[in-house]
Amino acid sequence: MEILRCEGIRKVYGTDLNQVTALDHIDLSVDKGEFVAIVGASGSGKSTLLHILGSVDKPSEGRVLIDGADISALNQTKAAIFRRRKVGIVYQFYNLIPTITVRRNILMPLLLDKKKPNQEYFEQVVKVLGIGDKLEFLPNQLSGGQQQRAAIARALLYRPALLLADEPTGNLDRKNSREIIDMLKLSNRSLNQTILLITHDEKIALEADRIVTIEDGKILRDEKRG
Amino acid sequence: MWKNYSYDYLKKNKASSYSIIIGAFIAALFLSFLCSLFYNFWLDNIEGTRQEEGGWHGRITGELGAEEIVKISHFANVEKAVVREETAGEGQTSVDIYFSNKRTVYQDMCSIAESLGLTEDACSYNYQLLSLYFIRIPGDDKPRMLMPAYLAVVALVCVSLILVIHNSFAVSQNSRIHQFGIFTSIGATPGQICTCLLQEAFVLGLLPILLGTFLGVLLSLCTVWAMTEFAADLAGGRQMRFGIHPVILAVILLLSVLTVLISAYLPARKLSRMTPLEAIRGTDGMQLKKKRHSRMLSVLFGMEGELAGSALRAQGKALRTTSLSLTLAFLGFMLMQCFFALSGISTDYTYFERYQDVWDIMVQVEDTRIEDFRKAEQMEKAQGVQSSVVYQKAKTLCSLPREVLSEELLSLGGPEAFVEGLSFNGEGNLLVGTTVMILDDRSFEEFCREIGVSPSLSGSILWNSFWDSTHSNFRYPVYIPYVKEKMDTIKLPNAEIPVTALSQKCPLLREEYEDYQLVQFIPASLWKEISGKVGGAEKDMYVRILANQRDSLDDLNTLEKEMIRLLSPEYEIETENRIQERLDNDKMIKGYEFVFGAFCALFAVIGIAHVFSNTLGFLHQRKREFARYMSVGLTPLGMRKMFCIEALLMIGRPLLTALVMTIAAVAFMIKASYIKPMEFVRAAPVVPVFTFLLTAFAFVALAYYLGGRRLLKINLADMLKDDRT
Ligand SMILES: Nc1ncnc2c1ncn2[C@@H]1O[C@H](COP(=O)(O)OP(=O)(O)OP(=O)(O)O)[C@@H](O)[C@H]1O
Ligand SMILES: [Mg+2]
Repeated sequence: MEILRCEGIRKVYGTDLNQVTALDHIDLSVDKGEFVAIVGASGSGKSTLLHILGSVDKPSEGRVLIDGADISALNQTKAAIFRRRKVGIVYQFYNLIPTITVRRNILMPLLLDKKKPNQEYFEQVVKVLGIGDKLEFLPNQLSGGQQQRAAIARALLYRPALLLADEPTGNLDRKNSREIIDMLKLSNRSLNQTILLITHDEKIALEADRIVTIEDGKILRDEKRG
Repeated sequence: MWKNYSYDYLKKNKASSYSIIIGAFIAALFLSFLCSLFYNFWLDNIEGTRQEEGGWHGRITGELGAEEIVKISHFANVEKAVVREETAGEGQTSVDIYFSNKRTVYQDMCSIAESLGLTEDACSYNYQLLSLYFIRIPGDDKPRMLMPAYLAVVALVCVSLILVIHNSFAVSQNSRIHQFGIFTSIGATPGQICTCLLQEAFVLGLLPILLGTFLGVLLSLCTVWAMTEFAADLAGGRQMRFGIHPVILAVILLLSVLTVLISAYLPARKLSRMTPLEAIRGTDGMQLKKKRHSRMLSVLFGMEGELAGSALRAQGKALRTTSLSLTLAFLGFMLMQCFFALSGISTDYTYFERYQDVWDIMVQVEDTRIEDFRKAEQMEKAQGVQSSVVYQKAKTLCSLPREVLSEELLSLGGPEAFVEGLSFNGEGNLLVGTTVMILDDRSFEEFCREIGVSPSLSGSILWNSFWDSTHSNFRYPVYIPYVKEKMDTIKLPNAEIPVTALSQKCPLLREEYEDYQLVQFIPASLWKEISGKVGGAEKDMYVRILANQRDSLDDLNTLEKEMIRLLSPEYEIETENRIQERLDNDKMIKGYEFVFGAFCALFAVIGIAHVFSNTLGFLHQRKREFARYMSVGLTPLGMRKMFCIEALLMIGRPLLTALVMTIAAVAFMIKASYIKPMEFVRAAPVVPVFTFLLTAFAFVALAYYLGGRRLLKINLADMLKDDRT
């Protein structure tokens, strides 16, 4: 069953003289439960695509359908609620709120929805991510890798149907990367979560069901694996 | 979001809240000052109207007997009905009616009139009093703009406060744009963000608003007190009592809260509408759109100068309001000071100095003809009087044949070149306006002696001068002769009287003659003969008195009392005395200066507080920028230098702008009033202006000092880490 589909996505930055076409006519369809890795050279447009899929950025052209709904047509409030409930995003730069504790940062999507967090699941997530003892710290008291893990925890906690992760392991050592990928895979399997993950790491890409390669804003290859 | 985010944020970032707190405080202070002041003006207006017109609302006039009056007073909305003492005409009675609900006065009056079998014409209304309650009666044809004006001023102040303080909110909110970007990216709706920001504004603003309201009321109390002290005469000698009503307080609070919330809402709405990624990237932040070098600054102050210049330029938009409010404050203050200095010079010229030796006491005798006045002798002989002149004015036309006009006047084109619509009579003679000054015979004879002609009561003395307004201005007039030296008679309407003499001088009187009039002096006895034919004089006459002792207020007051005793109750009179008038005038100017000054000062306070809060917020926002400078080796000394340059620039530009504009305005005023520039320079308000400027500068410097000290104390690594993690 298709959960995500984008048609003719174009993204152009800047005006006139210094125009940059970051994405050029991207068509992509992802099924529910798929684990997709997106790879490509630096500057090829991976993050841009992810942002558009997560509705935090608007495409210059084209539309994005999630669960059949056209998110590029949603108004801001609807888009926000949609993001909160359906999509978890992990950013390349972690984007934690600096003035509140790590715990609140992680719980924030739930708090925004005035929902009670599932305590058990929370414990589990922070334990696997190894930040259980850092919950009462402020983000900038954590190392880069710890911050990244907090950002992942935040994205996972709502158990979103779609998880978008931009180099979630970019700042981590091999052992930690392994653990996080395992966590994502577990979540992918047990919750039937759909995951799109950007990575530079070939080993990690090979774990995915499908590898999409982007070059110069276009999809160069799209290969399904065993 | 309040519990989970704002509370912590505000607790940890007190500095960024200062500007908002100050903004809210100022808004409340200003509004409460203004509202309670206006409320008191309003009360005073009502009191004044009550005293002048009475406190009644409607009045019915007609053939009303006791029965009807009882009927009126039993009418539903009628509080009381009072029969007026003064009769309104034959068989007519007027009844003043007081209503409990003023809103329905018109309808009620109509139905009362109807029930008494009278028409609407029988009703009259206390328009002025009712208009003070925003009640407009149909048929009232005066504009009654007082209450709308009050409301308009309050609305204007609200709007300008919003314009000023929304900027503080914008600065504080934009510094967190990144955080709100994260919030929206994880699913906070624009509504939630707006609500959160408004909540913050409310919580931060509440205490300052309460405090500001309280101080504002206190301030208006002081103002009312000061106004009764300094300017009692302005209000017609009525004592103003200070009052405040709970409803007014509620209105003030409501207005302040609304002002603060709207100020917060404007930038919040903009912020909440940004797409998450825009916000996270913070594109609206401190990037320079175009790279420009401040060559002059870098030449003047080196690298630090260039940094300071580009930092200020990058902040262009946020600092624009600061610049503007500073410029306006400077401009307002300087203009006010210069204006008072100029008008002081001008009144001295046109009035006080000019008439210094002309009068000590003026008595205006109402409704009296000079030939009927019997007290001249007694007044002249009274103790302390050095000399007195009794005179009356009459304005009429006289006919002048062209041949008698002086060569000088003819060469300028004659009187018709100066006066529009001059007419000719049947014989082709000019009809020119003439002011006939009728002097008592004794004074007239004295004037004859003064100008060296033998005293005679048979004719008129012409003041042979005409203001040449093409070659001189009113402040330094040049006069040319009006008529030729030879002139035997002058024709007034229905009378021709001999001309005793032509004179370049005129008797010293405190009179301003109309431009281009032919002024002539005639003795009262002559006037008595011709007045029946020529026409009437003005209804009042005057006595000008010079005193023996001219320098003390007490002496003049004593003399003034003596004159009043001599003349009343026989004559109805009004008196003035020179020293008292000077004092009153000074007092009035002081009063005006005080009121204007208070407004200017408040304005300046807004400007300065704004600078203060903005500078603090601005510096706080830039801590990472400074950290970068320091991490690449800018020394604390260099930072301080940079701060100094920034402070200088921040105040320098508004100052220059205001200065240039003031100079232009003053130059214009000087030109328009024909005052010699040097005279203004001598009286220029250097001290107050300097004090004001220095105060403003001190505040900006203080803000930079405080902000800078904080920044220099912060740990470098902490600053670099900042919030982009
Ligand atoms: N805000 C922006 N303004 C202008 N150009 C931009 C902007 N953001 C991205 N770009 C351009 O769009 C292109 C794609 O950027 P994107 O961030 O998607 O690359 P990426 O594939 O994620 O690279 P990396 O692997 O280094 O993260 C780049 O050429 C970049 O310069
Ligand atoms: Mg990227």
